[in-house]
Order: sequence, then C-alpha cells, then structure tokens
Amino acid sequence: MATVANQAGAPAPTRRRSRSLSEKRLAVLMVSPSMILIALVAAWPIIYAIWLSLHQYSVRVAGLSRWVGADNYTSAVSSPDWRSALYHTIIFTVISVTLETMIGLGMALAMHRAFRGQGLLRTVVLVPWAVLTVVTAVMWRTMFVSPYGFINTILGTHTVWLGQEPYALIIIILADVWKTSPFIALLLLAGLQVIPDDIYEAAKVDGATAWQRFVRITLPLLKPAILVALIFRTLDALRIFDLPYVLTQGTVGTSTLSTIAQQTFATNRLYGQGAAMAILAFIIVMLVSFGYIRFVGGNIRGMTAE
Amino acid sequence: MRRGLGIAIVSTIALTVTACGSSSSGSSSSSSSSSGGGGSVSGAKTLAASAMNSPPKGTITYCTGKDTTGDAAYTVAQFNAKYGAQGYHANLVQFPASADQQRTQFIQRQQAKSGSCDVFSSDVIWTAEFSSQKWLYDLTPYVTANASKFIAAPLDTIHYSGKYWGVPQTSDAAFIYYKTGEAVPSTWQQVYADAKKTGGIVYQGAPYEGLTCDFLELAFAAGGQVLSADGKKSVLNSPQNVKALELMVSGIKQGSAPQAVTTYMEPESDQAFDTGKYGYLRNWTYAYAVHNTGALKGKLHAAALPTFAGAGKASILGGHNSVISAYSADPGLALKFADFFASPAMQKAAILKFSLAAIIPSVYHDPDVLKAVPYAPQLLQALSQAKARPVSPVYPQISQAIYTNVNDALAGRVSPQAALQKADSQINSALATF
Repeated sequence: MATVANQAGAPAPTRRRSRSLSEKRLAVLMVSPSMILIALVAAWPIIYAIWLSLHQYSVRVAGLSRWVGADNYTSAVSSPDWRSALYHTIIFTVISVTLETMIGLGMALAMHRAFRGQGLLRTVVLVPWAVLTVVTAVMWRTMFVSPYGFINTILGTHTVWLGQEPYALIIIILADVWKTSPFIALLLLAGLQVIPDDIYEAAKVDGATAWQRFVRITLPLLKPAILVALIFRTLDALRIFDLPYVLTQGTVGTSTLSTIAQQTFATNRLYGQGAAMAILAFIIVMLVSFGYIRFVGGNIRGMTAE
Repeated sequence: MRRGLGIAIVSTIALTVTACGSSSSGSSSSSSSSSGGGGSVSGAKTLAASAMNSPPKGTITYCTGKDTTGDAAYTVAQFNAKYGAQGYHANLVQFPASADQQRTQFIQRQQAKSGSCDVFSSDVIWTAEFSSQKWLYDLTPYVTANASKFIAAPLDTIHYSGKYWGVPQTSDAAFIYYKTGEAVPSTWQQVYADAKKTGGIVYQGAPYEGLTCDFLELAFAAGGQVLSADGKKSVLNSPQNVKALELMVSGIKQGSAPQAVTTYMEPESDQAFDTGKYGYLRNWTYAYAVHNTGALKGKLHAAALPTFAGAGKASILGGHNSVISAYSADPGLALKFADFFASPAMQKAAILKFSLAAIIPSVYHDPDVLKAVPYAPQLLQALSQAKARPVSPVYPQISQAIYTNVNDALAGRVSPQAALQKADSQINSALATF
C-alpha cells in the first residue's frame, strides 16, 4: 500500500495544480467504494470490539451495561490465567514456526528436484495441509488418547499424553508442525522455482560445493519467500485456537490468547472482558507484524533494490 | 491483512459453550437446582395456560439442534397431522448438532428480537441465562396446572427466580453400566472397590461440562451442594463435597479408574469400555445402544447411580425443555405445540422409537415400553433421584470453576481440599459478576 501511494504521489508536484486536483478527486471517487467496503467489513467490527472492551455487560440483568474504561484491559493483563495463556502462545509460536520452517524448507528442496514421481510426491506432501485443522485435531486426539491410542500401543506405555504438562503442549506443537509444514514447503517451492538454473551452473563451473551453493545461492535468493512464509505462519500461530480447543479444551498448559478470549467472551458471556482480551491479542499480532515489516520488510526492499 | 486477522480473532470468539454430555448423542446434557438461586427476573411476559386452547390460526416454527434421532421431525409431522385441519401448523428448523452452536443460534435470534423461533428446544442448563435476559415467556400458569403429570425432577430445570420458563420435553440421566456376572452397584464405594478387581471404572474426567456432571453426581449423593439456599454464595467447599472428590481421586491413585479418565469425554469413555478391559462405565442412556452389541449383546446391564455410603443417592439431569420465545407472534400456538410434545403419545414415541428419556412417569409403566426398553425401570428410578445443576445466569463460570479444579485434583496436581477451596472462591467471584 505504501509503495502504491509513493508511485501515485511522486509525479504530482510536476503537474499543474488544477489538473492534479481533479485527478485527486477522480482517485478519491474511484477508491471510495472499496474504502467504504473496508470500513464496513473491517474497521466497523474492530471499532465495535474496542467499544465493547471499554464496557461491562451484565450477565444477570437484561440490557444493563456500564462504562469501565481500561479496567477490562488491566484486569486481563494482571490475571495469572491470561499471562499463562500469553506464555503458552509465545512458546507455541516460537517452537512451531521454527520447526515448520526447517521441515518445510527440507520438503521444498526435495520437491524441487526433478525426478520420476515428482507430481505424486508434491500431492502427497500437501495432504496434511488440505486436512481441516479440526479434523487434524481429532486425528491427533485419537492417536494419543490413553491408554489404547496407537502411540501408546506402539511404545508399550500407558502415558496420559493429553492430561499432563508439558506433553499436551508438545502434541499440539507436533500436530501444528505436521499440518502446516507443507504450507511453508509450498511457498518455498514457489521461491525455489524462480531461481534461475544458470546461477547454479556458473557456481558449479567455479567449483562451488553443493553446501556452498545452498548457503551462498539458494538461501539468500530464497530469503524473501522464507520471510513471507515466516510472517504468515507467525501471525497464524499467535492466533492458534482449534488445536488446543479440540485436543485439551485449552487446559493442562495449553491455553492460548484465543482460547482464553473465546472462553471469556462466548462461554462465560463476559463480553467486555472477552473483547478486551481479543483486542490485546490483536495488538500483539499487530506489534509482531510491524516488527516483521520494520526489520524484515526493510530487508526485502533492500534485496529487491540490489 | 492485519485488520483481517483481528476480525478473525473477534469472530472466532463469537462461538460458544459446551453443555453436559456428548455431542454424539445430542441429548445428554443435564442441569438445575431446586433452590433456583441467585437472581430475579421481573417484567417478563406471562402466558396464561388457556392461551393454547384456541390460539389464532397460523404456523409456528420449532427450532432444535440437529434432529439426529428423528424425534423432532416425527413430532412436528404428528402435530400437523392432528391439528392441520384446524389451521394449526408447525415448521421444523434444525440447528447444528453442537450444543454450543444451538445456544449461539438462539441467542443471536433473541438479541435481534426475532420471532423466528417460536419454540426452542433448550438444553436444561440454559434456563437461567435465557430467562434472565427476558427472552422467554413465563409459563408458570401452565406448569403449575400440569405439574402432577410430569416427573418432578425435570421441572427443576425450568425453575428459576420462582417461576417456570418452559415445558419439559425430554430428559436424561446417567447409568452405571456393567456386565453380567459383576456385582450390582450398591454404593459408590462398592463400585470403586469392585472396579479395582474388574479392570476399573471409566467416566468423563476431562475438564469440560461432562466432568461437572460426573463430580456433582457423587457430591450431591454425599449430601453436598454447590450454592447456598439463597443462591448468593458458594458452599462447594464442604466436608461432603471433599469426601466425594477424595473418593474419585483415591480411585485413580489406587487403580479403580485409569489415570487417563482425566482426558476422557463421552466418546473416549465409550471406546475404553469397548476394549473390554474395564468393568464399569458411567455414561448417559444413549450408551446402552452403543454397547449392547457384539460380545456384550444381552450381557450389558444398566443401573441407576448408587448410594454414597452413609448418605444418599443422586443423578444429574440432562435433556431439553421447550421454551417459548418472548418475540413469538403466536405464543398460544407455541404452547399448544410444547404441550403436544409433552403428551403421553409423543413421549411414548420418544422413548420407544428414538431412545429418549420420557418426562412423564406413566410412559415407563407402558407394556410396550417395558418390552422394548429393558432399562426403563432403572431410567425412571434414575430420573426420580435426579437433581439439577445450579440454575444461575453465571452457570458457565460456576461449571468452569468446578471442572477445571476437579480435573486438577484427579490428575494429582492439587489435593482435593485445595481444589475445592479454589473452586469455591472462583464461584464466589463468579456470583459477584456484574
């Protein structure tokens, strides 16, 4: 969006004022339908959620509400339950996104090679991504259910995987890695395919080893794709809801920002407090994405400029 | 993009609550309290019992969760067949199978003051919430005039703030299932002792509504309560409740129940019982049909929940009530439909054809029913000894306080005393909710 604005704005000073004004008007006219649409579908719900988060709504008297200012936010931030949800969310995000990126990169490299059965491999690898997350969760629950789930049968154990820390969170991370590594693989495969073969050939002629080619050519040229994948996955992971909801109902050390907000808002019908928790999650996601754009996005621009 | 993420979070949150019982049966929820504590509803519209005698002609809409048994479609068809000629019709609208979704769908319609659900099949734990929002007609005149027709306990589930807010429709209660040759469950203590010798007892110990039911069955039998008589404060941390929880916890520690029950909901407990390794299963009535097959065919027994040694018996009620929307255009006809649903003919069909627990006692003595439903006497006994979960507008929070802390105790993370103490203070702060 920023780049579009720059391009449109740059030629303006060289033109005559009246013409630029009418062009601006035309631009406003042409952009306004989509802006109104965005305002309706995006801005309004967020503003409404902020409005909710500054009030408390009575669960016992119909229609009664009161203004509480930032109370819902301070009580959320100071509550141990919310803090541990934040902590679990961060652990989940860091570990799952790291593993997914590494495994996804490996898958992409494997799929990129030309060989017989390439089409089949690509299809098979993508299957977990095609499975609905809730279905994934039910599958993993069945695998790990104790004591007769097949994991316990194979290991010959009676471990209650989903009933104790830290196993429950580990299983949720594994399920997420299983499901979303193919997504990263897909993004990175697209990135790999735009790297021209002649660069590799030139490097080979110069005597570069396979490792050198990977580190010096593949990784740097793949970086923009990796960063896009990282941003997608990080933002997604911060909002994780379905896996803990189905696998453990957000208990035994698996509550997340989304499960606790849902519990508060929908189950307990504390609309004000729940909305505040949702807005806090929203702010955290915003901060992380700003961080990416600031530190990583600059990188992308720098690289494309080179 | 980023905005979109925020919306996704907010809309994710606009989902819902779990009722007691399994999503697979769709009818296994339970609730209520005879004290009906903790709130008052004034200014709700009252419907006279006579309103159903000759209401304006028209069509009402009956909203219910997914009609997995076929009972709703059957009842609507019978209603139309009987009253269609007089100009009275009913439409069936099916909501999703999930209890959460049904509640959300109904709440959305009521918040919009829409009369698009004249009659709603309301889970027994939703009465206080819906009535305190003035979404329902006060049906006290009808219920008091007809009270003697119904089994007493289900009436508790529609009782809140001194008034009746619905008409019982179907009920449910849990059984102890066991196999031929095993001791008939007499006391909970005996069940746990026998379970140790026969592989164990499996029940629903995961932190969700189902565990609240499983725990309260023992706690109520032991003489415990959740709320004080006026409904204003928690009395959960009582010696009786501690005793009940200690029995459950020591059951796991000493091998009367597998440690894994702390992760079980209904489907997992059914699967565990199916492995044949466990002697006893605590589950709702639907489980009879699930297990009375294969090797167990004809060898499965269902018993009403036993006595807690030195105290009494209890069950927790599940099922649904017909409630009438305050925004219905033809509440008289809606009541006529609710009354028809509770009639002996429809109730007999419900238990005979659709394996649902009828809410009128005479059905259980019907020869056809006794012949086709081997557990009918036990079911009537279970319903007669049943108690309701606390009827409170903050019930979801109360239940959450119970199931999270009881689960912690079952998993051995805290002592039974500490768990109930924490749950007690959480319930008190829930009761102080604005």
